[in-house]
Amino acid sequence: MSYIPIGPLHPGIKEPLRIKLKTEGERVVDAEVDLGFMYRGAEQIARGKPWQKVAYLSERVCGICSDAHPHTLIEGLERIADCEPPLRALYSRVIMGELNRIHSHLIANAIYFLAIEHETLAIYLLNVREKIMDLLEMISGNRVLYSWNLVGGVRMDFKESHLKKILENLSEVEDQVIRYRKMFKNGPFLGLRARDIGKMRKEDAIDVRAVGPVARGSGVKFDWRTKHPTYVDYFDFEPVWRKECDNYARIMMRFDETLESIKIIRRAVNELPSGPIRKDCNIPPGSIDHRYEAPRGELAYIFETANHGIIKDITIRTPTVPNLEACVKHMFKDSPTISDAVAIYQTIDPCMACTERVVILDENNNKEEYRSLFDVSRRRKDTGRKLNR
Amino acid sequence: MIKEFIRRRSIHFCLVCTGGCNGCDIEVAALLSQRYDLEQYGLYLLNNPRECDALLVTGTVARQWQEKLVELYNKVPEPKAVVAIGACALSGGIFQQEGEKVGAPVSNHIPVDAEVPGCPPRPAEIASAVLKYVPEALASYRRKI
Repeated sequence: MSYIPIGPLHPGIKEPLRIKLKTEGERVVDAEVDLGFMYRGAEQIARGKPWQKVAYLSERVCGICSDAHPHTLIEGLERIADCEPPLRALYSRVIMGELNRIHSHLIANAIYFLAIEHETLAIYLLNVREKIMDLLEMISGNRVLYSWNLVGGVRMDFKESHLKKILENLSEVEDQVIRYRKMFKNGPFLGLRARDIGKMRKEDAIDVRAVGPVARGSGVKFDWRTKHPTYVDYFDFEPVWRKECDNYARIMMRFDETLESIKIIRRAVNELPSGPIRKDCNIPPGSIDHRYEAPRGELAYIFETANHGIIKDITIRTPTVPNLEACVKHMFKDSPTISDAVAIYQTIDPCMACTERVVILDENNNKEEYRSLFDVSRRRKDTGRKLNR
Repeated sequence: MIKEFIRRRSIHFCLVCTGGCNGCDIEVAALLSQRYDLEQYGLYLLNNPRECDALLVTGTVARQWQEKLVELYNKVPEPKAVVAIGACALSGGIFQQEGEKVGAPVSNHIPVDAEVPGCPPRPAEIASAVLKYVPEALASYRRKI
């Protein structure tokens, strides 16, 4: 029995996090994670600020799903104001959201292939992703942070040339993604590294409340887009899901969802209605719990507003929190080697920048602890520690 | 002499994310793609501080990193260079506000040789900054001490 620490700086993982693996020989028996290397206190800054500032801040909670965060916040504010944006704005939100999802899924798979040392496929996927980044830059003016959503609509309008370019690039991306999906599906070495490793049963996934592609890879057929009004009214959206429950399923999920997103964008571009892109909304005091399907899964914004659209209190629940728990509790168990443990960790598409926004103050010892939300919710009941989000 | 000459033409760097939004990190990852093709310029991404020449530091220096970043800097073999990437590493960016104290900028903790502004900077800007300033910093390193 020995303990092997991985991180915070490690060639296999890109973001700072320490994983402690308890091993018997090469076989992983148990695991633990240490968090807190990315804590910046976004929610604390957001309190008492007008929504215009909080929208920029929420983008910087996570730079990879940087459309999903402001999207959720703004839709929540619109529901408080009871203000429906124009149809063209709704369609352009769908286009940006799905482009963002494609780029997130492609980089997630690329980093998994880097973790299993298959550099060829990783570099191919990063190269395909550049086409999507070009589209995002052309539309919004920045490659990573878009500032696309505003209360009552979107910031800018599409030009005809933009729409033509979107369709052109998407067909190239689709061809290549289908090719790389086939390479992953039929490649004997890739299959050996991915199949039957990191198993999580459906019951376990429901038990730890796994979300997004991780849960759908374990057979949980749920996607928040099936409850989103725009997707329900204008796009016949059906979630993709698989029942293999292993690394292979989770990577294939991301390829499949990329292809699904391409279909949605195509439909949105072809049916894009004309009209205004923004209208005026007044935000009254109120509170809301609004959820949206970010690339990594369910993203919840629970907040309260005061007069003139000032954010009084805000809590953000990001998808990596339950997924990390699923990974530690169920996937690491019986991982045959340590290098597979790193690969398993990458298949949940972890985003540490999202996860870490909590500090616990121990008043008696005047000591600070850095923990994720799931530890806090567990500890809050049995010890009377003060929570300082 | 020959060692210095060769070393300036193959820079191994280590990416340290000290708590930003990940935007700068994915832009560094994008450098690996065929479009930018990092290795044709003799740049190699290698997350091992004991074997690298340059540290690329992104992000506001979060509280847990403040001591560890100095330790990490001491582990890099001499001569060494540090490049700070992005608004967070230069000034704390949007996170340097009332209510939360982050340890930004990076230059408060370790000496910085080059700074790349932007939120986030484009991949080409990062590559050109590393290519232009890291060899200079490595060459002039001994004169500093």
